[in-house]
Amino acid sequence: MQRRDSEKLEMPLTTLRNGETGTVTSIRAGGGGRGFGRGWGFEQRLMDLGLTPGTKVTVVKSAPFHGPVEILVRGSRLALGRGMADKILVEIEKR
Amino acid sequence: MTKQKLVIALAGNANVGKSVIFNHLTGLHQHIGNWPGKTVERAEGTLHFKGYTIDVVDLPGIYSLSTYSLEEVISRKYIAIEKPDVVINVVDASVLERNLFFTLQLIELETPMIIALNQMDIAKKKGIEIKPEKLEKLLGAPVVPTVATKGVGIFQLLERAVDMIEKGRPPTPVEVKYGEEVEEKISQVAKMLKGIQFWYPPRYAAIKLLEGDEEIEREVSRINPEIVSAAKKLADQIENLHGHPCSTVITSERYELAGCIAREAQRIVPPTRPPIEERLHTLTTHRITGYPIMVSSLLFMFYFIFAFGGYASELLNKSLYGLQSILTGLFGTTLIGELVWGGVIEGIIAGLTIALPYIIPFYVLLYLLEDSGYLSRIAFLMDNVMHKIGLHGKAFIPMMLGYGCNVPACLGCRIMETERERLLAAFVTTLVPCAARTVIILGLVGQFIGVQWAFVLYIFNLLVIFALGRIAFRALPGESTALIMEMSSYKIPQLKTVLKETWFRVAEFIKVAFPLIVAGSLTLKAAEVSGLLAHIANVLSPVTVVWLGLPVITGITLIFGVLRKELTLIMLATLLGTTNFAQVLTPVQMIVFTLVAMFYIPCIATMAALVREFGWKKTVFITAFEIFFAISLGGIAFRLLMLII
Repeated sequence: MQRRDSEKLEMPLTTLRNGETGTVTSIRAGGGGRGFGRGWGFEQRLMDLGLTPGTKVTVVKSAPFHGPVEILVRGSRLALGRGMADKILVEIEKR
Repeated sequence: MTKQKLVIALAGNANVGKSVIFNHLTGLHQHIGNWPGKTVERAEGTLHFKGYTIDVVDLPGIYSLSTYSLEEVISRKYIAIEKPDVVINVVDASVLERNLFFTLQLIELETPMIIALNQMDIAKKKGIEIKPEKLEKLLGAPVVPTVATKGVGIFQLLERAVDMIEKGRPPTPVEVKYGEEVEEKISQVAKMLKGIQFWYPPRYAAIKLLEGDEEIEREVSRINPEIVSAAKKLADQIENLHGHPCSTVITSERYELAGCIAREAQRIVPPTRPPIEERLHTLTTHRITGYPIMVSSLLFMFYFIFAFGGYASELLNKSLYGLQSILTGLFGTTLIGELVWGGVIEGIIAGLTIALPYIIPFYVLLYLLEDSGYLSRIAFLMDNVMHKIGLHGKAFIPMMLGYGCNVPACLGCRIMETERERLLAAFVTTLVPCAARTVIILGLVGQFIGVQWAFVLYIFNLLVIFALGRIAFRALPGESTALIMEMSSYKIPQLKTVLKETWFRVAEFIKVAFPLIVAGSLTLKAAEVSGLLAHIANVLSPVTVVWLGLPVITGITLIFGVLRKELTLIMLATLLGTTNFAQVLTPVQMIVFTLVAMFYIPCIATMAALVREFGWKKTVFITAFEIFFAISLGGIAFRLLMLII
């Protein structure tokens, strides 16, 4: 977790509480993602589904025992595996 | 006027009601095949309208026209190369923004198109009000509001599509404009591409080159590799300017435009009380209520399938075996008569009575669950369990199917995104005890040793699945992909669509499995008649008798089990001359026999399904591994159990 300025906090999507909304800042590339034949796999997929930088995303809930996260983005409801949701960095107003 | 042939393609996101529209348009005149050389399904149908014969192609449901999946590449190439007369873009009115993101990409492909603004009813329930005329103006393409599930707007859709083709000149759609810097780079690349013969429009190819699209890079570098490297440099400039990769910048800006259009065309007044669909979603995915609901729905489903399947199977069996006397009368008890009956007919009967009564209800229920949207909720709940074996939540569905019959389960592995996951899921699925193996487990161990032992075997089976799944996951090269799945609103499934899907799957199963079943049973029968089988049993005796501690004849029954797993038990009864297995087998022998029968080989129909999906090589590998594994396991179990019991 890093501090950007006095009001904004950048953190992985998974640290948001249920019902909290953040703004996507970036998607961390997966370990060794490039060069694996399908270079721009999941980052592009997430963006195609609307998770582009600057987009507001709301965490609805997560499944128990570190299960996937349910989010709302651009009016659609998505389920993201936890590992994937961890790679999405969001910014929220200081709570 | 002579009859003319037209081609209409349906394109759009997944779960937008595309196949419902497809069914409305083509009725029963459709067939489902595969795209040449691909495992992606291609649905095609014909209809007659105003003197035209119209070919309708239902493209796979996708979210983008990039190269994330095979489906996307196939759809893009089809639209660009085959150039259908018009593309009907089916749009989910309840998730307008994301759907328009796809629409904009179709516009960039410069394809003549018309928009079916579908699921207007669901949008309304969510408090979303869209003005179709406004959207039409904003997009510059015809927009027809539809509620496909009720057949509303389908005729108008077709009418306007044909009207558009007749006029010959499609309306000019909105220009998909990017930011100044990006636009400048696009026109630079487009200029380089001018004069090059290519099936994609220059501007589109330019945008994709800047995005780093692998397929288009490959195609262009074949003609002129310098263009690709020049585009890469320009893309780097954009990245330096914006601080994000060029593809991110372009995707963001495209979404920005989609968002703008959506916001202008729709008005959202959230309902004061969440609609029933919403409350149902909350309940079925809740951490406390979700699981009991899931377990009881699945139990109900299995109960129904087994009850129905058992009943139908018996009924069919009785009526089909009535044929035997007729046939014996026809051929006598000659060798040919025996081969025809025992080889061909019994093979077909086995397929009809064992597989179909279970497969048909299974598919009906599966598609009901899928169409309603519940399957994606199950995948959500089961995701982290499946991750233990390197698969994500969606793999739970074929695995569950496997308990009914491995064949549809293997075919169902198509829902996984990558080849690796498809294979992994299929492998795991073949280890799941299907209905036929349940007959052995319950009929032998359950009946003669005790239900608790049958239960232990089930648990042990699950442990093996997880252990082998984990090993296979480690052994297969590649990364595991995480779950990325849309959970679209619950809807009432369309029985017609469900039945049609079921019919296509069953027809496919018959085509794949029956020839193999017949060929297999004919070979076995020939081996039996010629006395070869007894010989084989003797050859196998070092394994069956010495290593596994079983009677010699189990060699024969295990061979027959390749045809139908429950035959191992039925044959055992025939050959031993009794159904009271306690007289002829010790408890240890029963457990060892059941263990081996549970894992030793996928049945012939499952092998056929595996061949169809993954080719011979992988099928042979899986089969060989399972034979080796089951025999090793059986021998070890025999020795361990002798110590305990």
